[in-house]
Amino acid sequence: MNKRPFPPGFAIAGSILILFIILPVLVTLLSVSLQSLLETITDREVARSIGLTFIAAAIATSLGLLFGLPLAYIMARVKFPGKSLLSGIIDLPLIIPHTAAGIALLLVFGRQGILGGPLSNLGIFFTDRLGGIVVGMMFVSLPLLVNASREAFHSVNPELEHAARVDGANAWQVFWNITLPLAWRGILSGAITMWARGISEFGAVAILAYSPKIIPVLIYERFQGFGLSSATPVAALLMILVLIVFLVLRWLASSVDAEV
Amino acid sequence: MKKALAGSCILVILLFLNACAPKQKTPLVVFAAGSLIQPFNDLEKAFELKYPDIDVQTEYHGSIQVMRHVTDLHEEIDIVATADQSLIPMLMYQVDIPGTTIPYANWFISMASNRLAIAYTPESKYQEEINQENWWEILSREDVKVGLSDPRFDAVGYRQLMVFALAQDVFGKGDIFDTFLQHQFTKEIRLVDMGDIKIIRIPEILETTGTSHIMMRGSSVALISLLEAGEIDYAFEYESVIQQHGFEMLRLPSALNLGEDSFSDAYGKVTVKMDFQRFASVDPVFKGEQIKYGLTIPSNAPHPEAAAEFIQFLYSSEGQAIMAQNAHPLITPLTGSNLENLPAKLQILLTIK
Repeated sequence: MNKRPFPPGFAIAGSILILFIILPVLVTLLSVSLQSLLETITDREVARSIGLTFIAAAIATSLGLLFGLPLAYIMARVKFPGKSLLSGIIDLPLIIPHTAAGIALLLVFGRQGILGGPLSNLGIFFTDRLGGIVVGMMFVSLPLLVNASREAFHSVNPELEHAARVDGANAWQVFWNITLPLAWRGILSGAITMWARGISEFGAVAILAYSPKIIPVLIYERFQGFGLSSATPVAALLMILVLIVFLVLRWLASSVDAEV
Repeated sequence: MKKALAGSCILVILLFLNACAPKQKTPLVVFAAGSLIQPFNDLEKAFELKYPDIDVQTEYHGSIQVMRHVTDLHEEIDIVATADQSLIPMLMYQVDIPGTTIPYANWFISMASNRLAIAYTPESKYQEEINQENWWEILSREDVKVGLSDPRFDAVGYRQLMVFALAQDVFGKGDIFDTFLQHQFTKEIRLVDMGDIKIIRIPEILETTGTSHIMMRGSSVALISLLEAGEIDYAFEYESVIQQHGFEMLRLPSALNLGEDSFSDAYGKVTVKMDFQRFASVDPVFKGEQIKYGLTIPSNAPHPEAAAEFIQFLYSSEGQAIMAQNAHPLITPLTGSNLENLPAKLQILLTIK
């Protein structure tokens, strides 16, 4: 028979895992009738919640880009003592349980928190406000963006940057015109992952800003308070929307890449 | 072929390990109202010391949620303890276990009472001026953060609304309820005053507005950390819970605290209704009455023997002492509903003085 480039059994093992991912999603989608899905789409509470969730995650991702890209670039280009420690700090949100992260954020951004206290005197609140949602989402999803961007910057050949510098471009010009255009696909992919991770966050946000309710909180509340029949259509709708957005963004990223 | 063999071997080993896990303990699943967390945690520890073969597995929710886990989610539960005993006949007596004609329960013990009060801390705004006369006015101030538990899920949730409605008669002011609640929710909670009876109507979607000074959570115990963190200034809680946590406490007068037997007629003037279908078969209506916690063993409890032992332990001198230490004494002698249906093992409790 034909020679496979991988050991026998790998395909079976892989298929089982893919099934493990697809099966729950599929069962959820199939368990919802078209009618209840339509009712959910027109449910104003659901629509508002989905809008809020997507926007909050987008704000978190934008802030992540603003502060995360410079950090990722330094991490990719510069060798300095304590770098692996810094790497570990960036990964910290990945290993802290999210409820614990929520409590930690409450202690910082709460009304009596280290930052939340002074800010509340200026009329800026985080608990049960959009700000709290953004902070919660951002904390747990930042490493995904920073690490992906770092990889992306790392894959850009430093010789190219060096050549531009020799030709007289300043550091800003090099970053904008050389590095960023070459690394942007990896960064976009990281941003999409961060955004999606933000949308899916429950634990940290539920502690810091239970309301206004983002969609994971709403699904939990409906599951707890109104049962499966009420929660499943919302879960299915969210899955469909996220899949569509995810596919479109991936397709955008790859098609632009193909032109280059 | 080899692969399949290896695979099935692993599977068999896993199943085997699972089946002969060392020291199989009998799980005893207890679903209780959130306000029972502390005393029941203590009970669990003491009980497990005495009965090392039983593993008590507790889960705490708002009282309505506790019911939902039994009758809507069909979980197998050995003991149900709710902060509102009226939920048991309303939702367990009337609903049959699927595929049978046996209701989920046919008796309950009136376990304990409680009183509603207002919890706060030394840092709470206006804490130096709040008293039994002016609390409703202070709680209505825009700059005061008040924690409420959700009346759709939790007994404190609908009881605290009853307090505001009752306060209108006690203080002779017809706008106390609206002053506190109006414009705080995207859909209003309404008080319909029909003279001798007041009806509070809860909308299906209950969400605070962006500028609201009310913070709402699924159960009253979820407000405790918020109070500790200074996120809220005041919260409605049971007196037992406030004492367990050492918060400052503003006691409410007997006509309002829902804890006095002699005021039952006055409490009964308020009814809370949900403007939506909340349960599969029953439409709950909550009539104001003295707070009583209900305790029962569901008919489909997988471990009724262990459940009876736990309840016996609760009423032993040790169990009673634990409840008393948690400022939540049991009601003795035993009262309740359909006590003739008590399991044989628990009949002895009827002799407690």
